[in-house]
Amino acid sequence: MIYVYWYLGIGVAVLAVVYGAHQLTKEKESESLRELLEAVNPDRKKLSFRILNNLVAPVLAAILVVAVWPVAVYMKVKEMLKKKDGAGVEEEREFAVERQHLLERLTVQEVEKREVVTDPLKAAPELPFGHLNGAWKQFLNGKPDGGELWSFSARWQTTWGRKELRSGYVMVQNGAPGAHFLTVWKDLPEEADAGERAKRARAGDVAGWLRRQAD
Amino acid sequence: MTAQIAERLNYQGEDVAMCTNPLSDYFAMGGINPRFESNCTALWRGYVGSWEIVDDRLYLIGLSGTLENGTDASLATIFPEFPERVFAHWYSGTIRLPQGKQLDYIHMGYGSTFERDLFLDIERGVIVATRVQHNGVAESEGAPEGYEVGAMTVFPRADKGGGGAA
Repeated sequence: MIYVYWYLGIGVAVLAVVYGAHQLTKEKESESLRELLEAVNPDRKKLSFRILNNLVAPVLAAILVVAVWPVAVYMKVKEMLKKKDGAGVEEEREFAVERQHLLERLTVQEVEKREVVTDPLKAAPELPFGHLNGAWKQFLNGKPDGGELWSFSARWQTTWGRKELRSGYVMVQNGAPGAHFLTVWKDLPEEADAGERAKRARAGDVAGWLRRQAD
Repeated sequence: MTAQIAERLNYQGEDVAMCTNPLSDYFAMGGINPRFESNCTALWRGYVGSWEIVDDRLYLIGLSGTLENGTDASLATIFPEFPERVFAHWYSGTIRLPQGKQLDYIHMGYGSTFERDLFLDIERGVIVATRVQHNGVAESEGAPEGYEVGAMTVFPRADKGGGGAA
């Protein structure tokens, strides 16, 4: 029986350490994060959710820690090692043109001829890429010696699973695509149910929304 | 996060809310991108554009906002040689125009849902297709009609970190 008391005593000590460490290291939930979470899950505002989240769950967790504290110690150590490695943070993948995206090798003159913008209301400069002519020139300034100009079209999936189509032109040197200039950048619809798709695109696709705000 | 103020679109003679930001793509593609000041949580992008469809082509015809240096922004701020009208040839994608009564209010981005969505599919600034999606019928007679933002926090000038409840 003495072993059981020792086991539970260590469990209580572990609980105290884990609780203290949690209180010292936890980050305060910001107002904007709280709003975001409540927007995604309106149930968070309900009293029942708060009782479950703020009372029932912590009490159950405390009982579990005391009962199976070796597991809690293992989990905590694993979490600390993961943080140390920086593996916990998943960053957005950065788009880059790959060889399989290349379509056609072109000269600057060919590209500029096909990309002249015309508008009947004269609301765009009649130049290659219209209002983006300056950006195009800047892109050409970075053309490496011996570099080739290729058109490309790429289907790209972001870290959060949003599918996009990106097309344009890319500098290729020694067979390796480098800097690119976009002419089309749009979201591709999912194959799933259209209604659900639209709802998700509007409400749940935080990453997509952030991209649209990122100006 | 707060529901965002929509862009405005003159479509078939009506001024409607447009829940898409085509200027974002212009900036992302390398266009002139002045630093806008965000003066409230409902307008993180810092400006509101006015758009128009003429002969199936998308035009930007106005812009209001404030730059970080305190000066007012206009169309000429981004397009100095086209201060009245700009053809949005850079934009390819789908423009969403919510219609009818509100079904669900989502206090984030353009997340609120409405009885219908009119989608305009655009390729390089030109409408190539339009479609209407029916999302349901509002249960309440008193459900608000049209897109609106429920609440926001307005930042005092030179103090964007604080603010009251949104």
